[in-house]
Amino acid sequence: MMSFIRKRAFASLISLILLVVAVFFLSRLTGDPAALYLPSEASEEMRRQFREIHGLNDPILVQFGRYVWDLLHLDFGDSVRRARPAFEVVSEAFLWTLQLAVITMTLVTVAAIVVGSMAAFRVGGFFDRIASLTSLIGASAPDFWVAIVAIVVFSVGLGWLPTSGTGSVWHWILPIGVLFIRPFGLIVQVVRGSMINALSSAYVKTARAKGVKTRPIIFVHALRNAMLPVITVIGDQAAALLNGAVVIETIFGFPGVGKLMIDSILQRDFNVVLAAIMITAIAIFLMNLLIDLAYALLDPRIRY
Amino acid sequence: MIKRSLIWGTLAVATMLTPAFAQDSTVRIVLNEEVDLLEPCMSTRSNIGRVTLQNINETLAFLDLREGGGLQPKLAESWEQLEDGSWRFHLRQGVTFSDGTGFDARDVKHSFDRAMDPSITCEVPRYFGGMTIEAEVVDDHTIDFKADPQQPILPLLLTLISIVPEETPIEFVREPIGTGPYTLTEWTPGQRIVLSQRDDYWGEMPAVTGATYLFRADPAVRAAMVATGEADISPSIAALDATNPATDFSYLDSETVYGRLDHSVAPFDDLRVRKALNLAIDREAFIGTLVPEGALLATAVYPPPTLGWNEAVEVWPYDPEEAARLLEEARADGVAVDTPITLIGRTANFPNNVEILEAVQQMLQEAGFTVQLQFYEVAEFEDLYSKPYPEGRGPMVVVAMHDNSRGDPSFSMYFKYASDGRQSGISDPKVDDLINRAQAATGDEREALWKELHAYLHDDVVADLLLFHMVGFSRVNERLDWTPTMATNSQLPLADIAFK
Repeated sequence: MMSFIRKRAFASLISLILLVVAVFFLSRLTGDPAALYLPSEASEEMRRQFREIHGLNDPILVQFGRYVWDLLHLDFGDSVRRARPAFEVVSEAFLWTLQLAVITMTLVTVAAIVVGSMAAFRVGGFFDRIASLTSLIGASAPDFWVAIVAIVVFSVGLGWLPTSGTGSVWHWILPIGVLFIRPFGLIVQVVRGSMINALSSAYVKTARAKGVKTRPIIFVHALRNAMLPVITVIGDQAAALLNGAVVIETIFGFPGVGKLMIDSILQRDFNVVLAAIMITAIAIFLMNLLIDLAYALLDPRIRY
Repeated sequence: MIKRSLIWGTLAVATMLTPAFAQDSTVRIVLNEEVDLLEPCMSTRSNIGRVTLQNINETLAFLDLREGGGLQPKLAESWEQLEDGSWRFHLRQGVTFSDGTGFDARDVKHSFDRAMDPSITCEVPRYFGGMTIEAEVVDDHTIDFKADPQQPILPLLLTLISIVPEETPIEFVREPIGTGPYTLTEWTPGQRIVLSQRDDYWGEMPAVTGATYLFRADPAVRAAMVATGEADISPSIAALDATNPATDFSYLDSETVYGRLDHSVAPFDDLRVRKALNLAIDREAFIGTLVPEGALLATAVYPPPTLGWNEAVEVWPYDPEEAARLLEEARADGVAVDTPITLIGRTANFPNNVEILEAVQQMLQEAGFTVQLQFYEVAEFEDLYSKPYPEGRGPMVVVAMHDNSRGDPSFSMYFKYASDGRQSGISDPKVDDLINRAQAATGDEREALWKELHAYLHDDVVADLLLFHMVGFSRVNERLDWTPTMATNSQLPLADIAFK
């Protein structure tokens, strides 16, 4: 097991290094930060000084060398736009995203497994039809639309919840509720499909023949075996959330890493972009590792 | 039964716990973009100015854009131009900064020098291009500004300099100290900024005792926040959401949309072609459709209340037949009127940007032009909009939006129309001369020269394709007595807000 973790860590390290190189050079291709940061009427002299202060006049390889050196000292540099350390800016935002992702994915996983399993138990039954229909709608509803409608209904119309922002438990309900819908729709369908297979297998028939009750059949015998493909989809969805739910963060004014990353790209705030990519990449690597370990836990045939 | 009581119970609790929005003397203002710096020398940037200007930091004078307003004293009680053309400011006494230190002439000098210092990239120096200004302390409460060449609007230019204490370091600060009625008491990045009233403010105490600034990028959410009472003012909402006459106000927002023509590239070097271009656009048809009701048809790159606004200049009429005739005439004289023209826009520059440009493209094509439409991201757009222009570029109409809420054309004219202006498409000795003379003139002479230039550029040079003076929309909670003005784009003094 330890050697597997070491191997994965090494492979991820190589990906991270490639990522650092690619992002550094690609971000330099998107335009001159001086053109964007300074107003259009700024003189050439102001532009030159701006580049000088932020080290943008040096040859690109010198800039890269300096960046790698700082990175090795865990120094991501300062955000040009905010005059604060980039790492501080990104870690604040990432913490918000992490909370949002963990809470949403926990709720989604539990709800989708219960609903998907129950739907699979009587295929074509009333519950199955309702679950399939709602999950299909959930998986295909555009989240910006759901978000605005949710605000109009629950905040402006009924006055139950705040429209947006942070500050109290109530502020979390709408963003989590909206974020919940799509992964829930997807995962219910995967759970249902996978459970239908498991429930028609020989060991379930044997269990039924032996008189095992319905609940243990679903949640003990069938579910564990049906979980492998489900875990993969959960991993995918969680990774997407860790990258930041840009639309939801934008609409609900949630200070997460997705919106920060998009804003920083548009503002050519390179240090923040690089720090955000590094931190989310490491988080996604850790999550993939957890998923691999979960495979081994669920299926004794998988050994690392 | 149990289930039903559970549902009702939950609903009841939810209703009770709905955040209570206090009806107090503080206000919540929701801005469209996070404020990422609170640096006084960056207050020319819209949202930074809305938080800091006249709230935390004050200026020597301020420009009142309301009827009969004009330049008003603030930290300077009076000013006069001396014999040698320099300006002397007499400063207010008994003023203190929020850190307790007293305000004097050395603070003014430091604030000016700091804003101009090349080692920090403040936005202010761009307004002081082509001149050198020396601040000289005369005594504790008197300061002289010597400008070379002389600056008749120096007091107006100094409305851009936020006054900070002499001890402020020459680097960006995150905790601004000023003489204003409020201090920064909380700043949670990405979430909120809170200002509270000082009890030792030198002037009259404003009715608002504190303000919380929130940031939401989505205009529908900002409108909803004022509707639910979560916010009191949203300075900018979408025209589409401005549906409630009791809370929603439109105001001329000092932005002008226009198409910049490059007169050095054929066929725009021909006056008839430029006239045809202007005659081909049915500007009136946009108002109330793609451009919100209340917007004005433009005859200059700055809006009407600006000094030297020439009422006599008339908007180009819509006359496609005359446009076609002028084009034919030019063609007969060998002008390359069939050269494809590129109509260039910037993505997400203003509401209905794409639709407006598509309509312009179609109108121009109907008049006989060949027009391609292209959109660019900010940085690429900037390369086409500002000099040095790319080589071999072909004829382009660069559609841009220009903001001038400063009350004087000098903030636009030089860099838009002078021969070596960074975004100028023309080179006309008479224009250069008028700009130079107007910039050096004062009083009625200045006004007359700007008027002359306004008419000359529009009617004789036909410098560009002027389109609209835009309007903005604000939503304001009914408990407040406050209406947006043209200045709302750049500042939002809390002292202007009263409670009904």
